[in-house]
Amino acid sequence: MLNPTTVLALFVLPLAFALILPVMTERGSVLPRIVTMVGMLGVLALSVTIFVGYDGSTDPQLLAVNVPWIASLGVNFHLGVDGMNIYLMLLTSLLFPVVLACTWKTAHADKKLYLGLLLIMETSLLGTFLSQNLMLFFVFWEAVLIPMFILILTFGGENRRKAAMTFFMYTMVGSILLLAAVILLGVESLHQTGSWNFEFSTLYHLHLSTTVQMFVFVAVVLACLIKCPVFPFHSWLPLAYYEAPAAGTALMAGAMSKMGAFGLLKLAIPLCPQVSVAFAPTIILLAVISILYGAVLALRQQDFKKLIAYSSLSHMGYIVLGIFCLQQSSIHGSLFQILSHGVAVAGLFLMLDLLEQRLGASYKQLNALSIYAPRLAVTLMLFILASVALPLTSGFTSEFLILFGGFQHGLQLFNTGNGLLVLVCVILACSGMVLGAGYMLRFARAILYGKANEEIGMKDMNLRETIAFVPLLAIVVIIGIWPYPVMIKAQNAVEQLTALAAGTQQVQALPQTTTTLPIGGADGH
Amino acid sequence: MATDLIYGLLPEHLLLALILVLMLVEIFHGDRKLGGVLFTLAAAAGCAVLAVQLSNGYTVNLVPTEITIDRFALIARLVILGCGLILGICSLATSSSCKFWMLLASSLLGALTIMDSAGFISLFIGIEMLSLPAFAMMVSGDGTSSASEGAFKYLVLSSVATALILFGLSLVYGVTGSLSISVFMATVNAGGAQSIAATVIILSGFFLKAAVFPFHAWAPDAYSSVRIHITAFLASVIKAAVVLALVRIFSTIALSAEVVSVIIVLSVASIFYGNTTAIKQGAFKKLLAYSSIAHAGYMMFALIDSTGGRTEALLYYASVYALTTIIACACFSLIVPGDRDDLGQLDGAFATHPVASVLLALCVLSMAGIPPLPGFLAKFLIFKSVIASGHITPAVIAFVGSYIGVIFYLGIVYRLFSTASVPAEAGEAAGSGLVWSGVFLGSVVFILFMLVPGVFHSLLLTV
Repeated sequence: MLNPTTVLALFVLPLAFALILPVMTERGSVLPRIVTMVGMLGVLALSVTIFVGYDGSTDPQLLAVNVPWIASLGVNFHLGVDGMNIYLMLLTSLLFPVVLACTWKTAHADKKLYLGLLLIMETSLLGTFLSQNLMLFFVFWEAVLIPMFILILTFGGENRRKAAMTFFMYTMVGSILLLAAVILLGVESLHQTGSWNFEFSTLYHLHLSTTVQMFVFVAVVLACLIKCPVFPFHSWLPLAYYEAPAAGTALMAGAMSKMGAFGLLKLAIPLCPQVSVAFAPTIILLAVISILYGAVLALRQQDFKKLIAYSSLSHMGYIVLGIFCLQQSSIHGSLFQILSHGVAVAGLFLMLDLLEQRLGASYKQLNALSIYAPRLAVTLMLFILASVALPLTSGFTSEFLILFGGFQHGLQLFNTGNGLLVLVCVILACSGMVLGAGYMLRFARAILYGKANEEIGMKDMNLRETIAFVPLLAIVVIIGIWPYPVMIKAQNAVEQLTALAAGTQQVQALPQTTTTLPIGGADGH
Repeated sequence: MATDLIYGLLPEHLLLALILVLMLVEIFHGDRKLGGVLFTLAAAAGCAVLAVQLSNGYTVNLVPTEITIDRFALIARLVILGCGLILGICSLATSSSCKFWMLLASSLLGALTIMDSAGFISLFIGIEMLSLPAFAMMVSGDGTSSASEGAFKYLVLSSVATALILFGLSLVYGVTGSLSISVFMATVNAGGAQSIAATVIILSGFFLKAAVFPFHAWAPDAYSSVRIHITAFLASVIKAAVVLALVRIFSTIALSAEVVSVIIVLSVASIFYGNTTAIKQGAFKKLLAYSSIAHAGYMMFALIDSTGGRTEALLYYASVYALTTIIACACFSLIVPGDRDDLGQLDGAFATHPVASVLLALCVLSMAGIPPLPGFLAKFLIFKSVIASGHITPAVIAFVGSYIGVIFYLGIVYRLFSTASVPAEAGEAAGSGLVWSGVFLGSVVFILFMLVPGVFHSLLLTV
């Protein structure tokens, strides 16, 4: 089953289903929903096949589609699965059917617009993660915004207009510089190889001057940190997460925010290794501020949805921290955290939506859920535990690896006389785990336990909802208990990335004794 | 030679014959619907002829130093005539008088003449033939004083532009003693104060015609005072013809540093002015007018290119912009029947007109430059040549300008998809089937542009 057609089908299937939706019967029928679900499950089946068959050393040609799009400019429609995007492919294709199953009975799911938007979003997200051409990546990176914008606008809460506008305009700011950087890289390729080219494989081998690297790095990091988001670029987050419909919030937090982390891994570090190494401490600092700031804000929230929104800010901080520690273990941790947080946060938002579907706005005053609906309560608790990073859940594996790699990196820098900053940052990041346990368990106590003050006729999870959450919980448990088989799939990609960064460090270590490099200023002596 | 005179200029001859036939029909009070049908047939035949000539690699130097049929002339005429055809099909239902079709045909004839001129005389005649029928179209069949006001402003400022172009041409003649475009190019390449002055003056004339800031004052009034299919005509065919005329003159040569800096300032100012002013507009045609000022800015940006990508980028940009404008106007007229053009009419339109709303949303998002729509690819083609020519700072500033533009385009999308309850319109406007066929044809071309963005590159190369 591992062949280019599978990869193409992965991308085309949701798009094709989105295009046949409009010709189907009008509202009131379940047919559009069923067709959409079939499409999403088809994508899931394909991506599970690829995921299982991929062993980390599979020939990249086997899983790549490469068709010229603007041939004269080297812009190709080039999709391919590699160690870096295989988790994200699985995460994306898994979240969509789960989201649809959880919102199956809502009024939204009755509208073909809703279903169509979900399918188009799935296509463009998969396109972003799978693209092996920088221009194609940029195209999908932006294209994701349109369905999400319309989804928030049409199905969002009271403040939807403001939320949709803030979301779109804020996340687009990053794209201004990003597009300039993309074109600049194409120009560099024109000067160095004699022809326009946007293939990642070509761009990775260009020799970029420090100025160009600097420009590209700033552009990419700005765009990615806004998307994640990471402090201080997070101000769109509370409004957008709060006002979006449940499906939108789950997908934004679960899959779209991962685009930012993916961009850092795919663009920032491989394209500008020297500048990345030099600026890593600064980004680590931002990530740790983000971890602590998100956790403190989450502690103060009374509203569950906002609490999870801020906890997401905190957890995204771990991902960025792991990436910029540039150690194999920490990057593995970040990749796991991408998967783990994607699953857990989407699960949490969807659970809240299940409660809201049952109780309306009064779910905010809910307590003693474990008495009314034990299955719901257990599932919710499992997601909470994954977020808290309890051992044997995926959260623990990933945060442990990130912090382990962080300490390695921090000690390494300290021992070579490069200052204490990173070490201090990593120690502070550990306290984020404690704070995380604080707010999540407070949330659990408030909603799950306590005295049942009045009888609210509330149904427990039905079969459809239970089935929907099983794969999410399976991922939480598998990564928590036996991560190795999953980890080896990304091993090669991670090795290459860290080798690149390590090579840079060695090259820079030599002249450091004689000349002052920008590194010195960046990591704060 | 004689066959070349007939075959090479066949699209022009077809339009000329059409004008004569329409005159006769008008005199003998023939069937009023006949005009539109004849126009559609003639334009489609012209497009077909051009397509055949393109695929055969037909080129001929028809009248030395005056008329030449090269690859660019064939492609540009196909673009103009194709836009005219789609616009014509969209206006079949609304325009029943033969006068409209006659004027449309003469304006298109002017545009085609520009595209195959190799000397300034035919170029100048083409420009005048392009604009003069447009004034008449704006007022014909529309007795409102605002339409006359808009047309009059356009007429006066357009005459100023004509005078500027003439003045520039006389300077060229003074320097070179020739009115051939290629000779003029050689002097521009050689530099010198007089040729820079000539370039700047000619450019100012074209900036006026294309409504680039600060020469834009006529555009908002002219665009908003006429009926919507004429707005579409002004913003699409006329603008595309003016821009492509600049490509005809300057083809791919690099302009001097002084001229480049003037163009950068004016383009950036145009982008910012158009986009910020458009945010405040409450009427669709006004919004279109200000957005067209911004788009003129993007197109002029391509003139600072020195890598030879200008022709391709401007052909793609002009045709995509013209096409999206035509489709957007047609969809707007489908959603909002009659002469109202208040943006409030679009509220909740998705519920009542889903297909037209989605198309209109796609068109405005394309104009805003959101990938993967053709509008983005067009901007990409322009900016990649700008950045490759070493102007990265102006490019980033222009990106910021286009970012501001996204605000008002999103405002339209917001209105279309907002859930405000609107009274269901009683049925579709009469003749909407014809508009739909035009919109359908346009959408097919729109999708093709998205799938094959390199079309003009390969067309220009093939011999």
